[in-house]
Amino acid sequence: MDSNYLLARAKDKDLLEKGECGGAVSSIFQYLLDCNLVEGVLNLSHGEDIYDGIPTLIEDSNDLIETCGSLHCAPTMFGELISKYLQDIRLAVAVKPCDAMAIKELENRHQIDSDKIYKVGLNCGGTVLPITARKMIELFYEIDPADVVKEEIDKGKFIIELTDGSHKDLKIDDLEDEGYGRRVNCQRCEQMVPRNADIACGNWGTEPGWTFIEIITPKGKELVEGARQNGYIEVKAPSEKAVAIREKVESVMIKMARKFQDKYLEENYPSLEEWDEYWNRCIKCYACRDACPLCYCRECELEKEFYQDSENTPPDPLTFQGVRLSHVCYSCINCGQCEDVCPMEIPVARIFHRMQKKYRDQTGYIAGMDEELPPLYSPEKE
Amino acid sequence: MKLTHTICPSCSVGCGINLITQKQEAVGTYPYKRHPINEGKNCKKGRECYELLNEEKRLLNPHIKKSNLVKSDWEESLNLAVSEMKSCEPGEIGIIGSGNCTNEECEILKKFATSLGVENIGFPAGNFPYFDFETASLNDVENSQFILIIGNILKEYPLIGRKVIQAKENGAEIITIDYLEKTNTGMISDQYIQTKSIRDFLDKQAKEIQAKLTESSVIIVGKLDHKEELEEFQQIAAKSNSKIIPVMKECNSRGAMKTLSPLSEEKLKAMIDKVKLLYVVEDDIVSHMGEAVKKLDFLITQSTTLNRTALVSDVVFPAACWAEKTGSFTNVTGNTQNVQQIVPPPGEAMDDAAIIMKIAEKMEIDWE
Repeated sequence: MDSNYLLARAKDKDLLEKGECGGAVSSIFQYLLDCNLVEGVLNLSHGEDIYDGIPTLIEDSNDLIETCGSLHCAPTMFGELISKYLQDIRLAVAVKPCDAMAIKELENRHQIDSDKIYKVGLNCGGTVLPITARKMIELFYEIDPADVVKEEIDKGKFIIELTDGSHKDLKIDDLEDEGYGRRVNCQRCEQMVPRNADIACGNWGTEPGWTFIEIITPKGKELVEGARQNGYIEVKAPSEKAVAIREKVESVMIKMARKFQDKYLEENYPSLEEWDEYWNRCIKCYACRDACPLCYCRECELEKEFYQDSENTPPDPLTFQGVRLSHVCYSCINCGQCEDVCPMEIPVARIFHRMQKKYRDQTGYIAGMDEELPPLYSPEKE
Repeated sequence: MKLTHTICPSCSVGCGINLITQKQEAVGTYPYKRHPINEGKNCKKGRECYELLNEEKRLLNPHIKKSNLVKSDWEESLNLAVSEMKSCEPGEIGIIGSGNCTNEECEILKKFATSLGVENIGFPAGNFPYFDFETASLNDVENSQFILIIGNILKEYPLIGRKVIQAKENGAEIITIDYLEKTNTGMISDQYIQTKSIRDFLDKQAKEIQAKLTESSVIIVGKLDHKEELEEFQQIAAKSNSKIIPVMKECNSRGAMKTLSPLSEEKLKAMIDKVKLLYVVEDDIVSHMGEAVKKLDFLITQSTTLNRTALVSDVVFPAACWAEKTGSFTNVTGNTQNVQQIVPPPGEAMDDAAIIMKIAEKMEIDWE
């Protein structure tokens, strides 16, 4: 294992069959649990259907089978679940790039202990909100969403597999033009390969039945080597062509993401009047704050008496959104959770992402990737 | 750590939410984005609903009143309640349920009353009367072209408010009626009508607005001053073929209505005046009726917390809360959703249906 690139697949028959791309990720988790390197694995399990991904802590490797297969309609966030509820255990976690970015920021703020956590990264081309996915399948595929047994995003298409084994696909571009497809935050995201995790796993460039793994950290290298030596995975070197294809997919997607950044953060960025209209809707429910994986202060400034407004009117945007903005915008990882949970449909992530991007362009500081802390950060809060 | 799907108990909209539990204890909530009603969006009350389970004032044991309310056990408290009930004529007993009870609990309560021959039974429904017409769906609200709103829906019922916002984004016109000078809902509306009372609006301005209503309009009734007003709004809707959606406070008000009579404060007061013994399940009746209960000879309460009603009761049974029991809630649009037991009830608490069954058993009621 000289190179940082390799192809891997499960040795366990069930995981090989049920796992995504040969089940390498599930097998690595199996190795970690069986060898007691971790006490738990945080991953997604299937709820009532393919649109329902539920964060699940697996403590017995026999249960890993529940978490096999990837779900693209589950825009979950693991950061806070770990810092709030799983801080005390040695953990392995399957992370999308945004999860990894949130974890990184929380590690920088001493809310997650990086020594206790293995971050198994999953390449991500974006997620679709579950109800949006169901509507889109009904509307554009003209299929009952309940008949879909599997979905996949590949080569710019959203592909569904039906109960009878047939497939149907549509171009994501076309779906997104109609306001469906991936979440707008995902459209703007240029972090497809989680290079802030220990390893980054995916299917780009790989051959069927194998997972392409990029080793990022020494811990990641040890992890993959351990899983191989203990007979959990088999590995081989990817062809030069495979590596080239993977690089190409990534660079095409980054280019696309930058176009979307221009579209949402510049060309179609809401005007001041439009923002006034948005802030007018705010019911000060704190959902954006509570969903933000970076907000963790035990005592929130916003709840202090001098910021209290009338109960029945919107808060002053300057002392509500403005204060939040000054606290976290430099660290915004564009995970979009604030926007997902806003009951009033305020596109709140746009202003945060735009500010982070401007700051990044000026200073080179990338939230969720860099080791140092953002400006105005107060360690008193830890 | 485990996440389990459930339905939020905070109001009648019926949003989905994931409850986070650790070692059999509810510790938080997490967005449930697959839920068709709210898609992972919840209001503050909703996100904090797990706190209901861990309230400091949770009742862990039965209590009986001696000179003060003192801790008792199931045997003693049940015997005391039963002997008092046996000494009353059916006409001297009143039974009050709640819009927070599950459908199954309401049915058992009704059956219990019927078996005893008790006719004074109902649940406090504020100013909302019984209705069984088909309401607008949340999709109807989202797809409407004109919405008339009574009350501060955005603040009180944010996940219906969201549908109003979506309709507005699609070009719908919004008119809101309320008492205050300014409200959240008023501020996003095309027109805000400040009124002294709903009666005043119905008498003076309703006609003018009626002209705007079409079959793609929805009237959202978030509050009423008097129960008769709902019928008037319904007539206004019927004339224009528009839809109507009355929004009640408790998570199962709509379901409770199917088995128990909705009681206005007036009717509730009349019932209290008429009976000697009142049996209250899950309603903190003192918080809205105040001193009125003082005239009762005997008050029996099933409650999750040591609330104001429990404090003045003669017998208090500790009840299981939402997420500690299995059953169903019917939401504002008539959609019935199941809730499962996720955590055990604390101490000796039992679910309301089980408590009623125990009483029935001791009263030697033949259920079938």
